[in-house]
Amino acid sequence: MGERIETQVPGNIWKVLVKPGDAVKAGDTLFIMEVMKTEVPHDAGVDGTVSEVRIAEGEEGVEAGILAIVIT
Amino acid sequence: MIYDKPVFKPGGDRYMLIEFGDELNLALNFTAHGLGDAISQSGLKAVIESAPCFASLLLHYEPDLISFADLRREMMALIDTLGSSAEIELPSRLFYFPTCYLDPWTKACVEDYSAKITPKKWDAEYVAEINGLSGPDQLVRVHSGTEYWVASLGFWPGLPFLMPLDPRSRLTAPKYNPPRTWTPQGTVGMGGAASAIYPVATPGGYQIFARIPIPIWDPERRFPEFEHSICLFKPGDRIKFVPCSVEEFNQTEAQVAAGTYVYNVVGYQKFSVRQYSDWLATVDASKRF
Amino acid sequence: MIDVVVPGLETSVQDFPGRIGFWNQGFPPSGPFDSWSFRLANLLVGNPAGAAGLECQYVGPTLKFTQAAVIAVTGADMTATLDGTPVPLWQSVAVKADQVLKMGPAKSATRAYIAIAGGIDTVPWLGSRSTFHKAGVGGLAGSALKKGSQIPVAYATGTPGRSVKPQCRPAFSSTKQWQIEVVPGPDDDWIDAAGQARFLDSDWKLSGKSDRTGFRLDGPQWTFTSKAYDKLPENGSEPSNIIDHGYPLGAINLAGQTPIILVSDGPSMGGFINPYTVPSAAFWKLGQSRPGDVYRFKAVSVDEAQALRRALDALCSENSLA
Repeated sequence: MGERIETQVPGNIWKVLVKPGDAVKAGDTLFIMEVMKTEVPHDAGVDGTVSEVRIAEGEEGVEAGILAIVIT
Repeated sequence: MIYDKPVFKPGGDRYMLIEFGDELNLALNFTAHGLGDAISQSGLKAVIESAPCFASLLLHYEPDLISFADLRREMMALIDTLGSSAEIELPSRLFYFPTCYLDPWTKACVEDYSAKITPKKWDAEYVAEINGLSGPDQLVRVHSGTEYWVASLGFWPGLPFLMPLDPRSRLTAPKYNPPRTWTPQGTVGMGGAASAIYPVATPGGYQIFARIPIPIWDPERRFPEFEHSICLFKPGDRIKFVPCSVEEFNQTEAQVAAGTYVYNVVGYQKFSVRQYSDWLATVDASKRF
Repeated sequence: MIDVVVPGLETSVQDFPGRIGFWNQGFPPSGPFDSWSFRLANLLVGNPAGAAGLECQYVGPTLKFTQAAVIAVTGADMTATLDGTPVPLWQSVAVKADQVLKMGPAKSATRAYIAIAGGIDTVPWLGSRSTFHKAGVGGLAGSALKKGSQIPVAYATGTPGRSVKPQCRPAFSSTKQWQIEVVPGPDDDWIDAAGQARFLDSDWKLSGKSDRTGFRLDGPQWTFTSKAYDKLPENGSEPSNIIDHGYPLGAINLAGQTPIILVSDGPSMGGFINPYTVPSAAFWKLGQSRPGDVYRFKAVSVDEAQALRRALDALCSENSLA
């Protein structure tokens, strides 16, 4: 159950929209990355509660494939 | 300095930069235009295209058709046939643009910059002051008093760099530091010794104090002047900014929106460097309008 | 028509060699960043190598094919699937009407290319279908793909099951290090001997502040010859300032102390020097690298750079197909 959301692209963490404890539904945007000066939203694939947030707003040079948010 | 002989420099595998000097001197730009024109006339297929800039000409060539060394030889021979830049004659269109100087839109843009980025004196006052003019009104007379030569286009698609042909209208101005994040479309601005027109609303660093309602960029090609390109200008065109009121600006803008605006272009002139130089010698460059 | 269900991150129509002949009006060529992968995709489906296709960047699109077609996907692996079944890269593949092609994030490398037999059939702007998205030029009404866009195709027959011989495919770096060829010039005479050695002997990291207009590099300082200081004031006050001049495509433009490689949608002129230029044959490496990757530059002559380009052109031919 639950979901591990990874960063899809290498880039900067522009906005983090959730914190641990938040309830989310499938399709809610969890965080937005910036690459090529363009926004790349990352959405929840399942309903659940955010249990971990491993990224911070303003973080630069984050690699693709990094575990960012855990939903349980 | 104007070089005795042009300098040829490689740009990767398919570009050549030809430098005619290292100063801002219209004669060097005329040479660049003249060579570009001569290359087009020569039908040399190996040169795909050329782009003049203030004191240089950039060539894009086809390495399958010519080597860098052979291209240099061809260019040196062509430059010799041109003779002195003083003998260059080029077809040159002249555009008249109704221009709202000291307009409310660029003023609002500067105020926005002052509020959000860093306080700034209104550009019209600033440019007048640093050039020893009596104020914005004289700036309008001086800036609009000359034809502008389209020395080159670039930095952004369709953006023309303009040099004043009348030395009595020479002005200088530093660029914004940091640059603006936006500029109204159609703004007329000044940076260094050049003027420019913003084809669309881009960030920018030039001092701004006028605006034209006429499109110089038309992706929909609504007007016949855009038959061959979505950009109005070519290097070698000239522009006259004709001061107009806010009312006339708005009326003209409405005509543009309705598609009824008629571009005012003079298409029967050749620009003669010889005649220009002769005239220049008679002008007292220290006088101001 | 192809329906755009999910646009991906700036997916655009490009053709090769791009929009040529308008440099003096400030139009960059645009075109596919990795023209090696792009041209092979076209050849796989029986198109001329330069026909209009799609460039996908970082995260690819989801496309619904309303008509049967033959397609090929090349370049970076974006785990392409057709109705959920994996699509092999570097091969021509038959697509049935109403099938959905889904491309995800690139696992490594950066750009993938989709060619369709017959080629994309948008209205050309100034002789080319290539897109300069930021300036609103070309492509689909001046823009990269949007959700709900419809891509017109001049459908033609293609042969499924053709593939590119493995030795003819570009090999993307798996070490995050790339060796990039450069030709010294036009303005290498503005950099002193120590500066030239430092440029060629150092690691240059690709910054995240990079896109199709320019690739910003992080690295050591540049040091200059007297040309950079003994110049008339109209050149500008920084050592790397010069009277505005034309920029070759691929120029390493020195904005102050920051080198920016001017790439497919880059500016055609400006007031900074270009001490080195990346030749056309090395562009595919730039196009497949990602922020954080490290470049080492290798100086080559104009002749060597032209030979590299001829070799690349020879690879982008029928001889590379099985």
